[in-house]
Amino acid sequence: MRSKLILSVLVLAVACSVYAASSPKKDKAGEAVVTTQDNSEDLRLEGEKRFRANCGRCHAAPHKFPPRMMATIVRHMRVRATITDEDMRLVLLYMTQ
Amino acid sequence: MWGSILRISIAKLWTRPRAALCRLGWTTLLTAILAGAVPKFAWAQLSAAPRPVPILTGSAGYFTVKDNGETELVPEVIPVVLLPLGDRWLVEARGEFKGEFARREDTGNYGGQVENELDYLQVDYIANSHLTVTAGRFLTPFGMYNERIYPIWIRDLQLVPLIFSIGTGSSDGIMFRGGFALNSKVNLNYATYFSTLSTVNKFESDRTTGGRVGLFFTGPRIEVGGSFQKELQEDRKNSFGFHFAWQPTPLPLNLRAEYARSVYGSGYWVEGAYRLGQIPHWNKVMRKTEFVARMQQTFAGEEQPEGDDEYNLPRSNVQQPDFGLNYYIKDGLKVSGSYSRWLGRRNWNTWTIGIAYRFAIPLGRAE
Repeated sequence: MRSKLILSVLVLAVACSVYAASSPKKDKAGEAVVTTQDNSEDLRLEGEKRFRANCGRCHAAPHKFPPRMMATIVRHMRVRATITDEDMRLVLLYMTQ
Repeated sequence: MWGSILRISIAKLWTRPRAALCRLGWTTLLTAILAGAVPKFAWAQLSAAPRPVPILTGSAGYFTVKDNGETELVPEVIPVVLLPLGDRWLVEARGEFKGEFARREDTGNYGGQVENELDYLQVDYIANSHLTVTAGRFLTPFGMYNERIYPIWIRDLQLVPLIFSIGTGSSDGIMFRGGFALNSKVNLNYATYFSTLSTVNKFESDRTTGGRVGLFFTGPRIEVGGSFQKELQEDRKNSFGFHFAWQPTPLPLNLRAEYARSVYGSGYWVEGAYRLGQIPHWNKVMRKTEFVARMQQTFAGEEQPEGDDEYNLPRSNVQQPDFGLNYYIKDGLKVSGSYSRWLGRRNWNTWTIGIAYRFAIPLGRAE
């Protein structure tokens, strides 16, 4: 019973992840963001939007740290706030420009 | 190969269900991790990003708490070390050094102990865009306060909610977490874990399993979620909870609420934090000022074991309104004050005033 419970929880999590990773809809959306918004201002605005949606739910925007520091902080927040890779890249772009 | 394993496992579901389920589970897990190792479009973009540098960050604060007439001085330092390795790994750790100094009856001087805790010491592997595998000691994903709002520079009121101890704390084991968009309007985030029993000093944890799922509606900026925890030892207790957060777009308002229940008690808190930037007068000051109000209530459950401070819940029904004021002097530096009224078998006031600061120092070349 115990091992079944643990196994079920783990399988559920992994299944969600596999579904999301293999979802063509999501990949297309990711491509669309980068390929159609080649304007850096558009990307920055999208990054700000993602920042407000993900990071701004808990805290205000910090002042901008040097790029390599920001890359570490955003990776940390990616894990903590369970944000996607696409969100992480856009937030990083916003926070380093 | 994976196809044949899957076929055999499914066929054996009827004859040896336990073994087949185990095999299926591990097959799925390995497939997910290997699938994540395939370079994808997103990872190509990452290569253009700046190389992360190790940093020392965290927060420090100094608070004076007057609780039921007794004054306590509470200095605290909460360092966080972040060590990125390659494109996909992160080692992170957070300690907590907290003094609680009260006036001694014999000398009249302030004295007390400094508590030190290891909140987390974990290795994160970013397997793919939607899955991170964490191993080590990590914050238990239950509700939203423990993982997201706990740092003193983030929390709006310095006193943690009365139900904070339900399902939270730290766990030693393995965790799977991530998030993805269900569609253009809804994002899903999840975390699930298994924790082993540990009595090692600073690494104490219970044998538990559980998880949290949240849905974020991007339009109205609302998040709703639920958490569950099953203890796999002693009384095999269950705990569960729900959380809610809303940031209405037109207002500088942050609404949050949590409900949690365990055998030792249950309760909820509802909190609103409003930045006064919309007030036309003294705007330079007002936009840095935040008013906070929280209402919380707990309901006592079964009697807690003596000396068990794991569930530090009130032992009778309690209501507590809290009011606070925060002034953000600059980024990461704020002054906070609050007033709370404990309404239980006896009533009393709790006042807090203090300052909190968030720091970040690169441990290498940052440019």
